[in-house]
Amino acid sequence: MAEHVLEVRDLRARVAEDESEILMGVDLTLGPGQIHALMGPNGSGKSTLAKVIAGHPGYDVTGGDVLYDGESILEWEPDERARRGIFLAFQYPSEIPGVTISNFLRTAVNARRGEGNEVDVFEFQKELRERMGLLEMDADFADRYVNEGFSGGEKKRNEILQMAVLRPRLAVMDETDSGLDIDALKIVSNGVNTLSKEDAELGVLLITHYKRILNYIEPDRVHVMIGGRIVESGGPELAEKLEEHGYDWLREELASPT
Amino acid sequence: MADGVTTAREAGETEAGVAGSRLAAFLETLDEPATLLERRRRAWERYTELPMPTRKSEEWRYTDLSRLDPESHVPFAPESGEEENRDAGDLPEQAARLLEGMEARSAVAVRVDGRTLHRRLDPALAERGVVFAPIRRVARERPELLAERLYTSDVSPMEEKLWSLHVAMLTGGDVLYVPDGVRVPEPVHVLRWAGEGDRLLSTHTLLVTGREAEVTWVEEYLSPDLESPLLSLSGLELFAGDGATVHYLSLQRYGRGVKHFSIQHLLAGRDTRLSGLNVNLGGDLARDDVTSHLEGPGSESEMLALWFGDGTQHFDHHTLQHHAAPHAYSDLLYKGALTDSARSVFRGLIRVDRGAQLTDAYQTNRNLLLSKHCHATTLPNLEIEADDVRCSHGATVGQVDEGMLFYLMSRGLTRLTAERLLVFGFFDEVLERVPVEGVRERLRDAIGSKIGL
Repeated sequence: MAEHVLEVRDLRARVAEDESEILMGVDLTLGPGQIHALMGPNGSGKSTLAKVIAGHPGYDVTGGDVLYDGESILEWEPDERARRGIFLAFQYPSEIPGVTISNFLRTAVNARRGEGNEVDVFEFQKELRERMGLLEMDADFADRYVNEGFSGGEKKRNEILQMAVLRPRLAVMDETDSGLDIDALKIVSNGVNTLSKEDAELGVLLITHYKRILNYIEPDRVHVMIGGRIVESGGPELAEKLEEHGYDWLREELASPT
Repeated sequence: MADGVTTAREAGETEAGVAGSRLAAFLETLDEPATLLERRRRAWERYTELPMPTRKSEEWRYTDLSRLDPESHVPFAPESGEEENRDAGDLPEQAARLLEGMEARSAVAVRVDGRTLHRRLDPALAERGVVFAPIRRVARERPELLAERLYTSDVSPMEEKLWSLHVAMLTGGDVLYVPDGVRVPEPVHVLRWAGEGDRLLSTHTLLVTGREAEVTWVEEYLSPDLESPLLSLSGLELFAGDGATVHYLSLQRYGRGVKHFSIQHLLAGRDTRLSGLNVNLGGDLARDDVTSHLEGPGSESEMLALWFGDGTQHFDHHTLQHHAAPHAYSDLLYKGALTDSARSVFRGLIRVDRGAQLTDAYQTNRNLLLSKHCHATTLPNLEIEADDVRCSHGATVGQVDEGMLFYLMSRGLTRLTAERLLVFGFFDEVLERVPVEGVRERLRDAIGSKIGL
């Protein structure tokens, strides 16, 4: 096993459609069992980094590398990345009309297990019910169409449910806390903490605007991204400082030649 | 031709293929009630008078019949009316397998190459006057059930050629009669298996319900992949009495090598609730002409269809929602998905007669294209002579949503599996309207195995 679950090296990426540069050389490493928070103002490139790690076809990598367990993943299709254990909790999950959560997740579990090794239907239902319990979901949630007509909070909980069932080794959580009320935030945070405790190897990259979620999920490291680069890294106290002073002091530091 | 001649024995003659019309000769061999025979002859006459529709007509613009040669097919021997009634255990393996899970049906029939090998009707329903029997037996024993119903549908000029062929060459048919006030609790399910190519199979369904009666009818068309082509003609005439609730479902899952033509006329009385669903998965070519006649005020008609075409499959759907009475409601939802080089056509018309005020009619066709080479044509239309109506139609042709695909793939699904799951979801809007859980599941299974999920 490699030293790092995730290692991002001088990563440069742009939007495929209009070639606008978003990531200007990102460096970041995340060890097994660690939780890192990635903070930064709007438009700094946090979500782009998340999507590039997941293999979103809307972005072109123009330089650098992304290593997962020591292996470069840039040539892997998004589904292969997922089957190998990379999970992206979406900021805006898609609605999939006509497909129930239960059917979707069983198909996803089987995709990971491979042909001929499909999960027993009853085993799966049992596991799904347990995982839904963890996130305080009603039993009939499994029969609803994926994200269709869901509230913002339900969508985010559904992302964590998928993570709980698919058991990734690397979870990138893109603003999972946005749009959550305090109760939903607690449930989601509790879910992430439980999964993190269950699997000592799980690496979590938590992308957020606000310190709020860090009151419930304690990060090992906090990184700040501005203008497509990580400009500052530190312990949990960095999040406190950002909460108090915003990002301007960092921008000023960046602007000054010293 | 030579192949056909050697298999002409079933029709009781061997020379016809050489001596001109094999189909005309077929008619000479029949021994059946005079009323039926007379109708065949009249239909045959009509068939020979009418030209084969060409692509010059709007109705046949997208489906080319020029290479359809009915004479190259040998009709299956018609049913005698004296059916076998084997136990499920004595049926050919293929047919027996089809019966699995059908124990709870109120009535079941299995036809193999047009011959009924198994028929069962809940005795409690028979006691209440429900009739479920082959047309030929009904013609002998209960001719009044056929009078003024069988072959009386108002077929359009463009349907008439194939309709006439269907009637003239009828292999066999099933009659279901449900008297006033009788509710058939579970579906009536008919399995029609064809095992031979180079053949003409013509099957008819006559559904007649009394006032306030209730029934769900399911018919399934099946075959292996056939190297030499099968021509399958099917007709439905449905007469739903006042206040009746009737569900009609057809699942066409033939193998390759089959051309299937289905003409369906559904007639709703006063305050009748009708629903019809046509699922096309199999065959090389399938063409459905479905007409819903709303003859009684307050009637409701739901017309649904699903299809999934791959390879070079061609599915053509023509519909007519005919509002002849006021205060009636009709809702059509046809959804199809295509891949490879498959083609589909939807041509639908809502016709509202002058007197049909307060009509409420909807027509929606949605198409999902999974490859660059498949093609869907959609032609919804309205023809309204009344002035106080609410009618709308809509049609879409689109590709799968890349955002949805990425979402599914980011959970480990391959692109192909993700696409299939999206198709399944796309169909669900129609499937969830199927009233009986057991039937819904059977349709899901059939669709799942077609799309490979």
